[in-house]
Amino acid sequence: MLARAEEEPLKSLERYAAQRGLSPVLRQTIAVLAPRSTPAELDDWAEAGLALIAVNAGAEVMGTYWRMSAQSFSSQGTSEMSAAGYLLAKICRESGSKAAIAVTAQIPIAARAQGLITWLEALLSLAVQAPKSVVLAAENTPRILAGTAIASFGEFVAAGLRASGGQASRQAAFFSLEDPRAGQLLARSSGAITFSDVERASRAFATALWTPPQDVRAVPTGGDPPFRRTALSGPMTRVPEIYAGVPRETAPLLYRATLAHAGAHRRYGKGRFPIGQLKPLQIALVSLVEDARVETLAMRELPGLRHVWGQFHIARSAGAATAPSLMARLARALFDETFEDPDGWIQKGLRLFREAADRIHDPAISRDIGNRLGNDLGQMRIQFNAKDYVVEPIYRDNNLGLWDFGDWQSQQGESVEMEVDAAHVTEAEQTDGDQRNEPDPETEPTVRAHSVVAPQSDPIVATYPEWDRIASIERPDWTSVREITPVLGDPSLVDRQIDREGALRSRISRLVRASKLGRPSRLRRQNDGPELDAEAAIDAGISLRGGLLPDDRVFRRTEQVQRDLGVMVLIDVSRSTADRLPNSTVSVLDVERLALGLLADALSRLGDPFAMQAFTSSGRDDVRVTRMKGFGENYDPTVKARLAGLTPGLSTRLGAAIRHAGMELAPLRTHRKLLLVLTDGEPSDIDVPDPLDLVADARHAIKGLKLKGIDVFGVTLQGAGEDSGDAVFGRARHMPVSRVADLPRRLSDLYFRLARR
Amino acid sequence: MNLDAYRIADEPYYRPVGNEIELFAAAYSDRLPVMLKGPTGCGKTRFVEHMAWKLGRALITVACHEDMTASDLAGRFLLAPEGTVWHDGPLTMAVRQGAICYLDEIVEARQDTTVVIHPLTDARRILPLDKKNELVPAHPDFALTISYNPGYQSAVKDLKESTKQRFVAIEFSYPDAATEAAIVVREAGVDEKTASLLVAIGERSRNLRGHGLEEGASTRMLIHAGRLVAAGVDIRSATQSSIVLPITDDLEMRDALTGAVAACLP
Repeated sequence: MLARAEEEPLKSLERYAAQRGLSPVLRQTIAVLAPRSTPAELDDWAEAGLALIAVNAGAEVMGTYWRMSAQSFSSQGTSEMSAAGYLLAKICRESGSKAAIAVTAQIPIAARAQGLITWLEALLSLAVQAPKSVVLAAENTPRILAGTAIASFGEFVAAGLRASGGQASRQAAFFSLEDPRAGQLLARSSGAITFSDVERASRAFATALWTPPQDVRAVPTGGDPPFRRTALSGPMTRVPEIYAGVPRETAPLLYRATLAHAGAHRRYGKGRFPIGQLKPLQIALVSLVEDARVETLAMRELPGLRHVWGQFHIARSAGAATAPSLMARLARALFDETFEDPDGWIQKGLRLFREAADRIHDPAISRDIGNRLGNDLGQMRIQFNAKDYVVEPIYRDNNLGLWDFGDWQSQQGESVEMEVDAAHVTEAEQTDGDQRNEPDPETEPTVRAHSVVAPQSDPIVATYPEWDRIASIERPDWTSVREITPVLGDPSLVDRQIDREGALRSRISRLVRASKLGRPSRLRRQNDGPELDAEAAIDAGISLRGGLLPDDRVFRRTEQVQRDLGVMVLIDVSRSTADRLPNSTVSVLDVERLALGLLADALSRLGDPFAMQAFTSSGRDDVRVTRMKGFGENYDPTVKARLAGLTPGLSTRLGAAIRHAGMELAPLRTHRKLLLVLTDGEPSDIDVPDPLDLVADARHAIKGLKLKGIDVFGVTLQGAGEDSGDAVFGRARHMPVSRVADLPRRLSDLYFRLARR
Repeated sequence: MNLDAYRIADEPYYRPVGNEIELFAAAYSDRLPVMLKGPTGCGKTRFVEHMAWKLGRALITVACHEDMTASDLAGRFLLAPEGTVWHDGPLTMAVRQGAICYLDEIVEARQDTTVVIHPLTDARRILPLDKKNELVPAHPDFALTISYNPGYQSAVKDLKESTKQRFVAIEFSYPDAATEAAIVVREAGVDEKTASLLVAIGERSRNLRGHGLEEGASTRMLIHAGRLVAAGVDIRSATQSSIVLPITDDLEMRDALTGAVAACLP
């Protein structure tokens, strides 16, 4: 701290600002800070500025620091900003003003992550040991914070210093995140539970509370602004992939609370509020009251939700009367009747909410109460920074889904963009679905371009009839099937994919073991055996007395069931299987491949004869079937290579593919023959305008197979569109899988269930 | 053999959900065979007992299993000191003496076993006993009822079309919350508040049907939980041991269900 007892620090600061042309910035900042700070706090803040000047931070640093002080004030308070100033001064002394500029620029991000001081302390330790890396570390702060909580920023810095062993070039590589170890460390050090870790249980929890199930997607938390609160948009619930800084044991509970809150909105909310002339503060408050309203109703239905949510209401009644603090306290007061807060504004909010108790089913009360509270807060001249506002407590959503923005776009800036983004996502998916149903002939040439193989050289191996739905007759020899030479891929791809699914694999192994043992079956009327078959013996006795020739097979024995089942798996590799799963780089075909790999693995261990075919089509003359494995082949690396080499393309002429698979299954000499069809949506083809025709044809093909003693079972991956699986396969022989990621497990489960007898 | 053992003396409690009693009574008055469809534990068996009591008929119940043969239903010759003696099976007994024969979970039996009921379920109303070379005409009081739990797990075990189409079907599902609570109060002897809580818990588990659980908690499960509560077990442990633990072995689903149960409790 500089000793300039003879002059007040603010005065010196003003003199400095006047010399550098920074007076307007300083004045604005003080205007923000002064009303909410004691004179002593303000002096301390000015001292921090002087400390910066004393280390020759330069006008750029000073200007930025002041602007950031004003900007981050609502979330931090004056004393934190002063402490930040002193730390900044030390960093500047160690590594120069360039570093100080880079660090200052990131202050808002660290402030929003609620860890400004820890973050600066970590950077200071870096400045002492590796001055040149400070700029890199500061610039990469958003990326680092996307992977790790700000509380662990210091650990990340320390690990980086250790890993680079004092060499400047290695330090630079690490803190610019070019060193792969930095990425690994971020992934590991965060140690945080991600949504995918708890996804299944959390979803099931939310579904158990209220149906219909929510469409939940995880969103990466990085980016600017960071994605820190759940967003509800249309039918979609988007949750942060990680709640940074939340302890491991709390994270699963937090995701439950989050989804329960989203569910409460869906159950008790009624349409969206028009935005009208509301200001951001009023929007936030109306949303806050609406949150309390839906939660109150939800807790009337399910009282235990109080425990689910209660642990996250941590606001205390003391503290500065800033907007975020007051709002968090109001949220708690409305939630928790035992919470006492002397603040007049909160008391008023509580009173209004209680008075409206008999109209609690009406969302209009939220709007009414929120408006009135917003006006009061405005009159109290409490500043509200819409840009930095984060809904508290942590499990609640950002409430943008509550509002109908119309073409209103300002103030909320990025948040609104995010909302629009979500709308785009939904739209994109819808168009996808449409394309699947009605293939657009114009896009066909491009589709052809990345289709399976140049087909014309592949021979036509069979022709099949097709069912004409309108005329109710079979058109003979209507479709031609070509067998495509499989493209070989990298067989280890399949193995690697399977290895990643350790838990699923061991589950399937258990099923395999259980099925191998088989179940005992009693064989009657045998020539030999340990027991007498009483019924046969009596029959023989009767025959003897009646003077007939007795049947001498009068024994019975118990034997393990002979598994006698042949299965063909037929998978759809039409163009739609190239679609990526939401929030991931994995395509539907990748999941299908994994599912098939796991099943094939199990089947080869079981010893059941099985075959695999993939199909796609481009008009009735060009139905393409790829044989990946015949019944006679072993499941070996060649088969895996064919599996890995599958590429998506073209359309889904289901009926022809089913008939062709039936031809292969028919000569099989097993007691039961099973055809498992795996497809992702409606049958369709470029020369068939009405998909219903192909649905009817597929159903007809299945009937034909049934006459030959082949059971056909359908597994459909449900996309956005209507699902025709029931119509094609019949309800009892159709298993819809709504989440593609569940497919591998569901497919294997299904097989073992079907194979039980 | 006398049917007295098969008569039901006291009224079995049954709370109607829809018009099933009228439907069954009408079907019985015309001796139409009836198929009861619905998930496990929703009261199918109890309903049949109630109807048998109400109509004053004996009830012969056969739990079907996959080792069951036609002679397990129709009867067989047994050896006796004087020679071979014919013994009526449960179905023949009902046919001869005029009882309601209830084949529980008929899909469990092999399809070729169930065809013995075909001649009984159309205008002929006879039971041919080929081994004995006898045609047993059905007693005027005889009626056949089967239960059947559809679902995709039954893809392999399904009724033959020719069997299915002989029956009048009555669909059962879980009763609405108020009715179900009343049933739990009556059957488990708990107060209404506990019963409604248990029903709310049951509803939570049924929401998960097809989303991780094969079936939600049945009314029977709720009654079991209620009985544990009535015996002094606290409601958390009671639901845990009578609903959550039996219903799934999947740890994540168990976890989710435990959470949902806790959300229902104050």
